Amino acid sequence: MKHLTLAALGLALLLASCAPAAQEYTATLLAMDTVMELTAYGPEGEGALEEAQALIQELEGLMSATDPDSEIAALNRGQTVALSPPVRELLDQALELCGATDGALDITIYPVVRAWGFPNKQYQVPDPGALAQLLERVDYAQVALSGDTLTLPEGVELDLGAVAKGYAGDRMMELFRQSGVTCAYVNLGGNVQALGASPDGDPWRIGIQDPEGTSYLAVVEVTDRAVVTSGMYQRYFEQDGVRYGHILDPDTGYPADSALSSVTIVSPSGTLADGLSTALFVLGREGAEALWRARDDFDFVLVGQDGTVTISEGIEDGFALQGAGEDYNLEVVRR
Amino acid sequence: MKHTKVWILVTVLLLAVCLAGWLLVLGGRAGSATAQIYQGGQLVRTIDLSQVEQPYSFSVDGPAGGNTIQVEQGRIRVSHAGCPDQVCVQQGWIANGVVPIVCLPNELVIQVGGDEAEGGLDGVSG
Repeated sequence: MKHLTLAALGLALLLASCAPAAQEYTATLLAMDTVMELTAYGPEGEGALEEAQALIQELEGLMSATDPDSEIAALNRGQTVALSPPVRELLDQALELCGATDGALDITIYPVVRAWGFPNKQYQVPDPGALAQLLERVDYAQVALSGDTLTLPEGVELDLGAVAKGYAGDRMMELFRQSGVTCAYVNLGGNVQALGASPDGDPWRIGIQDPEGTSYLAVVEVTDRAVVTSGMYQRYFEQDGVRYGHILDPDTGYPADSALSSVTIVSPSGTLADGLSTALFVLGREGAEALWRARDDFDFVLVGQDGTVTISEGIEDGFALQGAGEDYNLEVVRR
Repeated sequence: MKHTKVWILVTVLLLAVCLAGWLLVLGGRAGSATAQIYQGGQLVRTIDLSQVEQPYSFSVDGPAGGNTIQVEQGRIRVSHAGCPDQVCVQQGWIANGVVPIVCLPNELVIQVGGDEAEGGLDGVSG
């Protein structure tokens, strides 16, 4: 009997040491013009991932400006559209961000984006006169959202490209939570969003890509956060030796020229992180700091073309320049 | 007495199995950079880049003319794409998991994983 007990104890110890870490389920898919990696842990993870993939397809079908069957494409053709709940919800959130950034984010910039050829990759530098005319149609305040139907004024076109992936991240976190998943990580073409802490219980360690190369330059530690980066290196074309990036300044119609190489936003909200990463890139360092002081729902990492990395104090703990970042200077902005 | 021997044997065997499994898991991670190649959402090939001795290339079919993939020790690239935009070819070699290679027209994704590849990161925002 004694031996049996000993053996049982040994067995229990062995089983404990051999117990696999929480089951990991992953999926890789192409959607929203990018590659998406989804990872969910625990027994509920498998089913939740299936639902998450269906959710992405649904959102893409509703929101893609280039898909003629989407609600956004119908709005852009001037049709009156009965908005589905996701489109309604995202438009609400996006318009609020447009207002909060005083138009540095403007979801009505699509006519200008098209003139540059970004949606169909037929890149060209538009004629300045034509650009000035198109800019007259750009103003988010023309989108009057009331009730559940929407008609855009003539010539106004929407592009949710700066917020759709962020919103998809938020919706996935919500889906995971409702499915009983407590630990998950998604990377939607560079938009990172994590639910809970990492499987070993520590914060997630998220690298920030080096805008100048193929490595990373810093690490930020987060729990329950979206980490979204915008930079010209993500999409650009060159003509006559000049590089034209995809983040357009709604004021000028030209690529934003703010002395920043990239902007990373850390926030509980994916939509906010996505939209503000674009807006702060347009605003530049001073504008970014001013907006951060006026709000309490995000932190930032600004990578300057002058070799300075500026972070806000909320993410100072666990932040480190690493890899390619060792050549940069670090500045911390405090309230 | 006989029982004791049996239990000792069982325990030792279990220990050995667990140790072997543990080493396998660790061995699979330490110092390896593994490239995973997906086409149309399916994993079509896995390559341990650290074990590549002679450079080689191979083709993967896709809806936009497919891709030619070139492999050398520790790195991988797309050397030819049948699509017009050539984004994946221009990206050049990758050796870590920071940025995957994506050819959207051909629904091709190349990801590199492994602990060393990303400096112990859970992911990269970019």
